[in-house]
Amino acid sequence: MTRIIKRQFLKGLGALALAMTAGLSAPLAQAAEGFPDKPITIVVPFPPGGSTDLLARKIGESLAASLGQPVVVENRGGAGGTVGANYVAKSDPDGYTLLMGVTGSNAISAALRDDLPYNPVTDFAPVSIVISSPLALVVNADSAFQSVGDVITYAKENPDTFTHGTPGVGTSMHMAGELFALDSGTTLVHVPYKGSAAALQDLLGGRIDAMFGDILVTSEYIEAGRLRALGVTGTQEHYLLKGVPTIAEAGLPGYAAVSWQGLFAPAGTPDDVLATLYGAIEAALQTEDLQALFRERGFLVEGMDPATSKAFIADEVAKWTKVVDAAGLKQ
Amino acid sequence: MDILHGIELGLHTALTWHALLYCLIGVSVGTFVGVLPGIGALAAISLALPLTYYLDPTDALIMLAGIFYGAQYGGSTASILLNLPGTATAAITCLDGYPLAQQGKAPLAIFVTAINSFVGSTFAIILVMGFAPLIAEFALKFGAADYFAVILLGLVAASTMTLGSPFKALGMVVFGLALGMVGTDVNTGQFRFTFGVFELADGFSIVALAMGLFGVAEIIANIGQPAGVMQAVGKIRFRDMLPTRKEWKVITWPTLRGSAIGSFVGALPGTGPGIASLMAYAVEKRISKHPETFGKGALEGISAPEAANNASVQAAFIPTLSLGIPGDAVVAVLMGAMILHGITPGPNLINEQPQMFWGLIMSFWVGNLLLLVLNIPLIGMWVKLLSVPYRMLYPCVLIFICLGVYSANNNVFDIFVVLGFGILGYLMRRTGFPATPVLLGFILGPLLEENFRRAMLLSKGDLMVFFESPISAVFMGLSLLFIASVFLPGLRARLSRRAPKASE
Repeated sequence: MTRIIKRQFLKGLGALALAMTAGLSAPLAQAAEGFPDKPITIVVPFPPGGSTDLLARKIGESLAASLGQPVVVENRGGAGGTVGANYVAKSDPDGYTLLMGVTGSNAISAALRDDLPYNPVTDFAPVSIVISSPLALVVNADSAFQSVGDVITYAKENPDTFTHGTPGVGTSMHMAGELFALDSGTTLVHVPYKGSAAALQDLLGGRIDAMFGDILVTSEYIEAGRLRALGVTGTQEHYLLKGVPTIAEAGLPGYAAVSWQGLFAPAGTPDDVLATLYGAIEAALQTEDLQALFRERGFLVEGMDPATSKAFIADEVAKWTKVVDAAGLKQ
Repeated sequence: MDILHGIELGLHTALTWHALLYCLIGVSVGTFVGVLPGIGALAAISLALPLTYYLDPTDALIMLAGIFYGAQYGGSTASILLNLPGTATAAITCLDGYPLAQQGKAPLAIFVTAINSFVGSTFAIILVMGFAPLIAEFALKFGAADYFAVILLGLVAASTMTLGSPFKALGMVVFGLALGMVGTDVNTGQFRFTFGVFELADGFSIVALAMGLFGVAEIIANIGQPAGVMQAVGKIRFRDMLPTRKEWKVITWPTLRGSAIGSFVGALPGTGPGIASLMAYAVEKRISKHPETFGKGALEGISAPEAANNASVQAAFIPTLSLGIPGDAVVAVLMGAMILHGITPGPNLINEQPQMFWGLIMSFWVGNLLLLVLNIPLIGMWVKLLSVPYRMLYPCVLIFICLGVYSANNNVFDIFVVLGFGILGYLMRRTGFPATPVLLGFILGPLLEENFRRAMLLSKGDLMVFFESPISAVFMGLSLLFIASVFLPGLRARLSRRAPKASE
């Protein structure tokens, strides 16, 4: 963070003058005039150290360099990301307070909850869905399940028996499991934990049957021969899990559930401000530096523009509402 | 790789000038935030983490880990001197530490806790070096039922902990349990007892609760005290710090028992130093021949918990480094730091990153030695704090508490929570309700409930699961023994009174 600021002091004045007179180098149709003229805050609705934090800091660094203003990352964790999201939803819609939102805080919660003090959809103007990452359906290496087909057959013969652990109600891992049950016509036992590490512990210990887990984290255990991946939840093979089929290919045609992360402004933020921010993100995603980092982390670069992002969120909310209603999870 | 090879490799890493420098920075910052009431290791590491994005990963980890265990050294200082816990985990040290200070033994007490901390750390580091993978595999055998049994034992053991009315103490445990229920229900995702206050969706923060009940309450209680209560602090001589031969004897076994309990609790993912020190204190009081001295300045009462929380912190690295499963909330942030640096902790970490693993372990030795060297000369300086008038000291402390509570989640609401608990804590004191049982219920209650319900979910409601798992059965047995040891003496007395009648 300090380095971002320091770099700004070194480059800042020159870059700012340049940007204001010549316009930004990025291909921006209607960049907002005079924006930004003060530091921008990106709120991360989780404690430091997680993947959302990493993404926000890396994107923040690029935004600072191209917009000529310092970008401060603020961690406001709590209640699965909804505390931080609520804070941004209530902030001024001027583009200076942004949210690094995730599937849970900005789509699933809209389907699942009526008791939030903000509306996860209408209170935000998406800037860009930046990255997505599929999950992996993993079982213990000693388990009898060799394929997605095995799981479906078993779950059909033994309703309410097959257990899958998740980091909590309303997480993308939970929804991936509920969608799996809905699409396959089975009933699984959802075993929620406080965080994915505790679920992983029980999976390694053989006390739960499966988990829809983060690709990067689970790939370590798969390599070590402790877990086996039966399928990935995305629409194509993932480069960190070569040879593992998608769940759609492996027996549930049409199945897809990915988690994603994106930058959101409060609703009512002017379109030209959104365009300026999106231009900076688009440029950042072209850099080899960020692409390499994302590859290492297992992310797929999305970089959707504001309009596409809005449509994408609407689709997501519709999809999860269907799943939540079918499973009777509405709070 | 054998241990000697590892040690050699680790020393090569830990003794470079930059590793030493970051280790020194880490432990110094750790000591400092440990001493400051309210700002604990979690807040400090969260604040420092972004700064380490640009460091070499091993250096970054050495520094962050240094903050973590360094804070455990500092935490007891304020507990002893001011009856204000420096960190939430040091609340238990107030019980006997502050009475010692009132008897003019503050230098001795702080010296003893430095030694306890060092022994506790050393004990756990040896375990990490020699047996980390083995212990981690054992910890993996603990399921929900086993966790439930361990925590139940903790609750049973600790219930014998307080002075005064047992009914008030019991009432306060229940109050703590009730406070722990507030927040999102893990199983259903429902907001429980939040009364429409969205900020409570994650429950009360443990830092706000501990700092309010212990810290802010102490400050309120001292408002209006005449300035004359200040202790005249003379020159602190080294002689005042050193325990006598008899005192060394008193602290030896409690320190070792505390180290063992702390190592065990620390190696179990999902627990932490708070539980370790509570359990160590409870066990010590239970088995002591003089339980009546506890709470009145018993050296055992500071030795066991201080050794336990340090051992727990070091042992928390066992599951993290050998399995990629963080031992507690702070280590989870450290794991995040590793991932940021492109190192994904998992079962292969020790083999794939031997330089980092051994470098980190050897830096623990370096760091703990530095802490010992740093802390002993500082004792004189800390004790001088007592000569600062309350009217200047307490406003500063209050600011630190608010800062610390706020910085955990950048949430203003938490400041009101800490002040609210401060007022409540003061009222409780005035009416003779002890605060420690509240903390106990609050820490153990949610874990107990979560694991009980998970055990029921996985066993489809079969209660026998608590006796069928061998680990759980052992701990359930220990709980029964504990309860029996409370009631048996009375029972035996009654039986022996009856016995003569029977023989007549």
